[in-house]
Amino acid sequence: MPDPRHFTTRRGFIAGLGFGAVSLYGAWAAYGAAPLPFGHTPSATPEPEAHGHGGSNGDSHGGHAAAAAPTADDFRLEHETFLRTYAQTDGSVDPHAASHGGARSHGHAHGASQGAPHGGHADEGHDDDGSATEPVTVFLMAQKFAYSPDLLRLKAGQAYRFRMMADDITHGASIQLGAASRIIRLRPNIISEQTITFTKPGEYLVYCTVYCGQAHDAMQGRIIIV
Amino acid sequence: MDTIPHDAPIMAGSGLTARIRTLPRPDKALLNLLFGAALLALVLGLADGLLTALARAGALTFFPDDAYRLLTVHGVSVFFYWLYLIQAALLLALAAAENSRGLALRPAAWAGAALMLAGFAVSEWISYTGTPLLYDGSPELAVDDPRSVGFFALGYLLLSAGLTASAVSGIATLLQPRRRGEAEEFGAVGFALFAWAGFLIVSAIAATNAFLPGLLWSLGAGPFPADHGTEWHILFHNLHYLPLMATVLVWYVLTRHLTGVTSIHGARLSKIVFAAYLVFVPPTSLYHMFLEPNLSEGVRVVGSLLSLFVSVPTLAAFAIIVSSLEASARAHGATGVFGWIRGLPWGNPAMANMGWAVVNMMVGLTFAFVLIQGELAPMLSDTFFVPGYFHLFAVGVLTQTFLAALMVLLPALNGGHLWRPALLARMPALVTAGLLLFAAAGIAAGTMGVPRRVFDVGYGGMAPAAWPVLMALVGIGASLFAAALSVSVYGVVRTLLSGRKLSAMELPAVDWKAGQNRIGAAPAWTGPASIAALVAAMYVFTIAAFQLIQSLPVAVIGGGHGH
Amino acid sequence: MKNDEVRLMLAIVAVWAALAAVYALVPSLGMPGYVRVWGGGAVVFLLLAAVLTLSGRRGDGGEAPRS
Repeated sequence: MPDPRHFTTRRGFIAGLGFGAVSLYGAWAAYGAAPLPFGHTPSATPEPEAHGHGGSNGDSHGGHAAAAAPTADDFRLEHETFLRTYAQTDGSVDPHAASHGGARSHGHAHGASQGAPHGGHADEGHDDDGSATEPVTVFLMAQKFAYSPDLLRLKAGQAYRFRMMADDITHGASIQLGAASRIIRLRPNIISEQTITFTKPGEYLVYCTVYCGQAHDAMQGRIIIV
Repeated sequence: MDTIPHDAPIMAGSGLTARIRTLPRPDKALLNLLFGAALLALVLGLADGLLTALARAGALTFFPDDAYRLLTVHGVSVFFYWLYLIQAALLLALAAAENSRGLALRPAAWAGAALMLAGFAVSEWISYTGTPLLYDGSPELAVDDPRSVGFFALGYLLLSAGLTASAVSGIATLLQPRRRGEAEEFGAVGFALFAWAGFLIVSAIAATNAFLPGLLWSLGAGPFPADHGTEWHILFHNLHYLPLMATVLVWYVLTRHLTGVTSIHGARLSKIVFAAYLVFVPPTSLYHMFLEPNLSEGVRVVGSLLSLFVSVPTLAAFAIIVSSLEASARAHGATGVFGWIRGLPWGNPAMANMGWAVVNMMVGLTFAFVLIQGELAPMLSDTFFVPGYFHLFAVGVLTQTFLAALMVLLPALNGGHLWRPALLARMPALVTAGLLLFAAAGIAAGTMGVPRRVFDVGYGGMAPAAWPVLMALVGIGASLFAAALSVSVYGVVRTLLSGRKLSAMELPAVDWKAGQNRIGAAPAWTGPASIAALVAAMYVFTIAAFQLIQSLPVAVIGGGHGH
Repeated sequence: MKNDEVRLMLAIVAVWAALAAVYALVPSLGMPGYVRVWGGGAVVFLLLAAVLTLSGRRGDGGEAPRS
């Protein structure tokens, strides 16, 4: 005997509506999984894993690019070297400026920033005109309640490999880009790496998006893009 | 005609209120104690939340530690003690009503209440006086203050122990009719209560997993809890589902009470839906961690794909309730596409709270879907987008639903009537208006990058000029919904305290119960249309967010690979 | 019908236990807390399924469900 109910009041329809509507989300999920310039584009450049450019710090694999991943202590040494090498008189850090030792930071396998214990080896054979295909490595350390460096001078159109770490507790290192921000969460002693290319000149606010204590509101830095 | 003929008002919900009215005196005392404590937590949380919002809007200024203390008390009071004390109380009340003879294992229920109240006292005290740890109690914020970490953890652990004891009493109560041979299976509500009680116990396990290490560390008996962030996410995920399940359960109960309607699709489908809440908990848990630097890319993608299941049980329950109501209303002569909705007893504050809760849920779900897109996490997570949308749930859906339950249960429990129902029935619309302003401004602010936990968003003039303006609108929205909600809370507290001093008064209700042979002859499109509108809105806002993220003057590769 | 309730509880147990097993057997996921919570949950719901089964046996039939 046929069900006298209208189909919108039948159990099968309601069950299908509740549980089956999820199938409509398939397109939504696929949309989200699609490659984006803002996020993961594995085919665009080599995967920015750090494993290939550390290890020149006196560990057991010293000097080999494919050695073990750098540790938090490696990061701290490299960060110190980066600051020492590229610090400018106005307090900013400019990885394109001539270092005190005349080194350049281009290239992820040879840069001064990877030669931490040696205070900045020069990297040979890379362009210096801001259009280099190799990302330039920059370091950013977050700690209560400041960034180091807190003022970076970079170039538009140049890819930068940001190597970042929180030194003490969890912080954010988020970049305000006008209509929205790029949010980055940094856990202590875990090295995060992102390759970022700024496409427009300007002055960008860097700020902490994870509550970190009394002066959390004041934790900020700047990136100046020319 | 675009309406429904009004049935004569009936004595609201004879079954539920009659069973509550005849509960043994010790059970009534326990329930009054728990309802009162829950309302106290809500009052504290509401007051501190309003102060927080006004401070963020620039209308009030606090020293940083004091401001973050307010935020801590707000979160602890509302998210933990209001929501969990009220859930424990509702579980016990509804289980006792199902049993018809009061609570089983009464000592366990009283022990549970004592533990939860002890936890409440400890948590409030340390939140007001210790290092501000916010509601997640992250130990890394107080490495030099183990006392704060220890007491903070102790409060939540006592709450967890109390929830477990309450749930055990609730389970035993629900099983009594079977053990007496009076019933051989649960109804839909009985089964939902049973599963909900189990979920409460699991959440207590999750809380212990998250907070016991902090307590041990503070006592010098364990290592520093470096993994607190991950363990918190697990607990936090459970705490998303648990009150939502409770909310839908309360909707089932109140729908029957206010309209006489039960599911026209049978108890079996409802049981499957309630079980689905629990089935979907573990697979959908990863979206909280999209910004974690040590989450692998594969896990991130899988987590994003699975996260879409998060809403399935709630949408299914919504479809069941709405189609049952609409079909029953049409069986009683309702005409017009939405005419049946006007026939609902909106003059009853419980109906008004529940009805507007549904509106808040549909709006909130839309933005929840945007937030759980893995690719959008680097733009939205850790921003004010999160509190912007979740207040629609925490206040608009959960709090209004639980207040609706109190508006029905308290008069039955104590023999009086609800304080000024005509006034209370107007509040949910105002609460929703305030919430919509709060959410719209907050979501816009979060999308622009305003962090969720910063009081001064000026950043020395470096921040976009729109940020303080949007946060001022957030403050206005918060003031509006806080004021309206305060009236509702005051009415419920007056009802609780007045007891029999207020004479009994019948509140509007309808009796749409109809025989099966009359049900379903006319179509019922409200449910399908609502879900279609939700899915469409979800697509629109998701696509808009992707357009925005693609328009930014930056190209980024790598979502935070950790080492 | 009462077997439905036990079956639903067992479905919950199966999913929770499976997820706990995944986290336990793939250490690279690095989230042992999930093993404890989902595993603990699986045990809780298994106990509840057992309680349902036992309490069903004690009763000798009776009223229809209330709602």
